[in-house]
Amino acid sequence: MSNLTLRPSVEGLEQAPDQLQALRDAYGKMQALRGDDNRSWVYWAGLHGYPQWMCWHHGRVGQGNPRRYNLFLPWHRAFLLYFEHSMKDQNEKAVLPWWDWTSDTSHSIGLPSSFTDPQVDGAANPLYSGPVPSMLSVPEHTSARYPGSPAELPTADQVETLLSLSSFVDFTLQIEDIHDQIHGWAGGMNPANSDEGGDMGAVATAAYDPIFWSHHCMIDRIWYLWQLRQGVNNVPDDYVQKPLAPFGLTVGDVLDINRLGYEYGVTEQVLTTDGPA
Amino acid sequence: MAAAKKPAKKVTKPSSRAPKAASSSRPVAEKYTSTALSLESVSQDFARADLRFDGVDHSQSTFEARVFLNNAEANEKTPTTPESGYAGRFHIFGHGGCFGDVGHCEVRGPRRPFDPRPAHPLTPATKIVIATQAIRQALGKGKQVTVTVVPIVLSGTKLCDFKKVLKFDKISVVTYR
Repeated sequence: MSNLTLRPSVEGLEQAPDQLQALRDAYGKMQALRGDDNRSWVYWAGLHGYPQWMCWHHGRVGQGNPRRYNLFLPWHRAFLLYFEHSMKDQNEKAVLPWWDWTSDTSHSIGLPSSFTDPQVDGAANPLYSGPVPSMLSVPEHTSARYPGSPAELPTADQVETLLSLSSFVDFTLQIEDIHDQIHGWAGGMNPANSDEGGDMGAVATAAYDPIFWSHHCMIDRIWYLWQLRQGVNNVPDDYVQKPLAPFGLTVGDVLDINRLGYEYGVTEQVLTTDGPA
Repeated sequence: MAAAKKPAKKVTKPSSRAPKAASSSRPVAEKYTSTALSLESVSQDFARADLRFDGVDHSQSTFEARVFLNNAEANEKTPTTPESGYAGRFHIFGHGGCFGDVGHCEVRGPRRPFDPRPAHPLTPATKIVIATQAIRQALGKGKQVTVTVVPIVLSGTKLCDFKKVLKFDKISVVTYR
């Protein structure tokens, strides 16, 4: 396990100041890069929505096959992986944390406080918002959220029900629905302007909001937990060779997260480096 | 991978992140109620029953769709209880309107069967509401049912039509043993 990156929970990360600072540092550096630099925040967010629209949501009809298929889960796993690499390129100690929107804390306060503090140590908090380029009638801005009530967030029981579904196609449809719910919850509508929502609430702008990455990390983790119960390779046979553009990977390449170099936990703390020789 | 646009400067302050109750500023979208639909061919002998919505549009706003059986009066304030005919809900993470030039979001059909490219990203979605108890309850009352779908706008952009957020082609009942 030592060579694997352990992706912690956001709540776990908030108990580890060095790791939290590394995440802020990496996000801040990515956000400061020019958008046409392919290491930048704007570049990576732009792969998902505006302007490149490469994300997979909902099923589509396949090649030479009238059956629909859905690459929502594997496409976002590959997307997160390369985003995390780009993040680590800015700060090797940074790890992508998962936001557990089912936790007692989330059902009490909603979004995690590390993502809702506008400033940290007198400077802008890179977890609070990210740069969004101009797009048609939406001017360039920093990402905004108008979240709903914490009581509206999905529960652990709902996730448990998902984990009991034995068919991948069934599972992916149901988890994508909860995913859709969170996007609407976190984006919300501007109380001061009823025709304007937060950036998480539209495919076009969602990935520019820093909470996007921890929301999708949670989705990826739930898929991983499902795989542990229902089988790592439990996808329809015709999914395995499907390409995940533009990442140069197929669905089969991303089924085993350990092969991709990471694992999910809550916290990781080295207790001693002074073992017996 | 094409280059993205130049970085944005931070020109506006994000809003307050304080949790709040469901916003009263949400636009009210038009709901849908079906005609009386026959359940003649659906027996009670199932372990699971789904309401499947095909051809669901996701090009506009992000919304929650609450599904009620035999309650044409249902609206966004109707309790989500079995007594109200509540069957479940689905959610759509919307595209946010069209950010491209003319034709950018046009899904042309029918799709050529051997076109090697993935289908258009806005190919309409299928949503499944697992509604076993609600369908069993409806069958217990008769062999006809009306389906009312109440869309609740959750989020969107200035490019969205917030009135007509709910568009789909077909509703099916699918049962399993």
